Amino acid sequence: MFIETAGPATGIAPAGPAGLSANRRPKRRALSPYLYILPAVVLLLVWTYWPLGQTVNLSFNDWNLIPTKPKQYVDVQKYAKVLSLPELHQALMNTGLYILAFLGISVALPLVFALLSRKVQGKARTAYQALIFVPFLITPVASSAIWRWLFAPEGGTIPAIAAALGAPMGNVFRDPDSSMIAVIVIVGWQMLGFGVLVVSAGLAGISPDYAAAASIDGANGRQITWRIIIPLLSPSLVFLSLMTILLSAQWTYPIIDLVTQGGPGNSSTNIYYLLYQFGFRNFDAGLSSAAGTLFFLGFGLIALVFVELSERLSFYDN
Amino acid sequence: MAFITIAPPAQPGSADAPLSGPTKVSGPTTTAPAAGRGRMRLGFLRLVPSHVLLIALAVVSIFPIYWMFVTAFRPSSDALSTNPLPGPLSPENFQYVLKTIPIAGMLANTFGMALTLAVSQLLVAILASYGFARWDFVGKKALYLLFVGSWLVPFQVTMIPNYLLVSQMGLLNTITGVVIPQLCSAFAVMMLRQHLEAFPKDLLDASQMDGRSSWRTLWEVVVPNLRPALAALGIMLFISAWNEYLWPSLIMQKSDALIQVGIRGFLGAEGNNWGAIMAASSLACLPIFLIYIFLQRYVVDAFVRSGLK
Repeated sequence: MFIETAGPATGIAPAGPAGLSANRRPKRRALSPYLYILPAVVLLLVWTYWPLGQTVNLSFNDWNLIPTKPKQYVDVQKYAKVLSLPELHQALMNTGLYILAFLGISVALPLVFALLSRKVQGKARTAYQALIFVPFLITPVASSAIWRWLFAPEGGTIPAIAAALGAPMGNVFRDPDSSMIAVIVIVGWQMLGFGVLVVSAGLAGISPDYAAAASIDGANGRQITWRIIIPLLSPSLVFLSLMTILLSAQWTYPIIDLVTQGGPGNSSTNIYYLLYQFGFRNFDAGLSSAAGTLFFLGFGLIALVFVELSERLSFYDN
Repeated sequence: MAFITIAPPAQPGSADAPLSGPTKVSGPTTTAPAAGRGRMRLGFLRLVPSHVLLIALAVVSIFPIYWMFVTAFRPSSDALSTNPLPGPLSPENFQYVLKTIPIAGMLANTFGMALTLAVSQLLVAILASYGFARWDFVGKKALYLLFVGSWLVPFQVTMIPNYLLVSQMGLLNTITGVVIPQLCSAFAVMMLRQHLEAFPKDLLDASQMDGRSSWRTLWEVVVPNLRPALAALGIMLFISAWNEYLWPSLIMQKSDALIQVGIRGFLGAEGNNWGAIMAASSLACLPIFLIYIFLQRYVVDAFVRSGLK
């Protein structure tokens, strides 16, 4: 769905940096696409692909990030260690739970909201959309501050309401049973509006002719929704799901760092926070890199499966 | 960062019409105007549940932000007040923040950082997407896969080597160190390429026949015609750069020159001084709020059409 394949390279002779010729014009033309792309490719190689290779390399070494201390080759020891760590198991499980929760909040809920409210049009619709999108733009430092204040045991709005309803709350961020839920609430609050807008945009792109034709054929509202609208929405839904699976760990990272630091215990940590802790708290570059390499491979696999699935599942209204 | 362009939001009066036909008014209609009014009222009644739902959603979205401002503008004696109304306004918390941390400097630095990143990412992406969209050449597919593939490399996986590289360049605790690894956004390249693929080839050919070089064609024909797309993308890149947290917090550990890092330190130091914390947080969002207020449609469309990393 998203890997755009360029058309087969046609006619133009292979351009290479081989020797200067007297015939300058065709030469320059053959080189020009490479020159335009060069800055981007150099930056990508220096800051993404070279570091990726370095990460794989570091994962076979024992090193504490201190430049004067030599790296020590330790084969696959770091992999063995990282796989046996209970922190890793907890972080993996939490990452899975976060993904499930965010699939609900940024795909399923928005679908329900968008379907139920699609008849609201015009200025009212624009106004609602403008309002529900605002949390998505709030900088993570501010959103974590806002929610720490809303959840504050002394004077916070949510505990005050809970107490008034007869269900007193403690400090949600310090309780292993609720710290993860608190992170999900904060990140979910930021993502919900984005999901609603993407689904609404997808809905807006579906021609009403299909539904009109189906209703002439005797289809009722529910049949139209399930058999026509949702299949035609599938590109938007697949897009949102892929974003959620691949990126929710990154959306969660700043909130975890600012609000719970992965705790208490490791109750709210996720895999990226673990990479940070291994690398920049415990100064174990090898361990962090081994975990990073494993996650990269795992996520790459998930993404490829998803791309394959989306090619098969998506309906296009061409 | 993502790369799937989805259908644009509904233009006024476009396809997103109600799916069922016009509401039927039962009974014989006497006069046309009366029937029209009845139809309108019935249509409105049917929309009530939708409006209730959307209002609830809007309140959930907006209340925390409203609460940030209300608390920020409370006099410190009322900091713990749970009165939902603003009450007496006081600039006290803002004065305290301005006195305690160099927040004006942080805002200026962060603004410069985000602007530099947005401009550089746009420039690099304009060049690269033009190269991809205009010519067929050997290795095009492989080179493009480099950009798509980089989307699969989470930043956290490469952060240690990047950190070491920045440190070797002597750029730790500098804004340059924050900016330099992000000068190229693969996402921007992919977005712009989609726009450029749709660019009319006739215009390019005409420009070439006029004797323009590919470089002059780019700046005199392509870029002026792409202005709306470039503006939307630029705004989006600026907002993403402004909200960046992980990398600045690693590179600027000993400095609070950027707002995200500076506010983080302030949150830690002020503990439960909620009024001051909310004032600082509102200042950290200020430029984004201003952009959103003035360019709301642009911002929403840009993000919804693309998503982001």
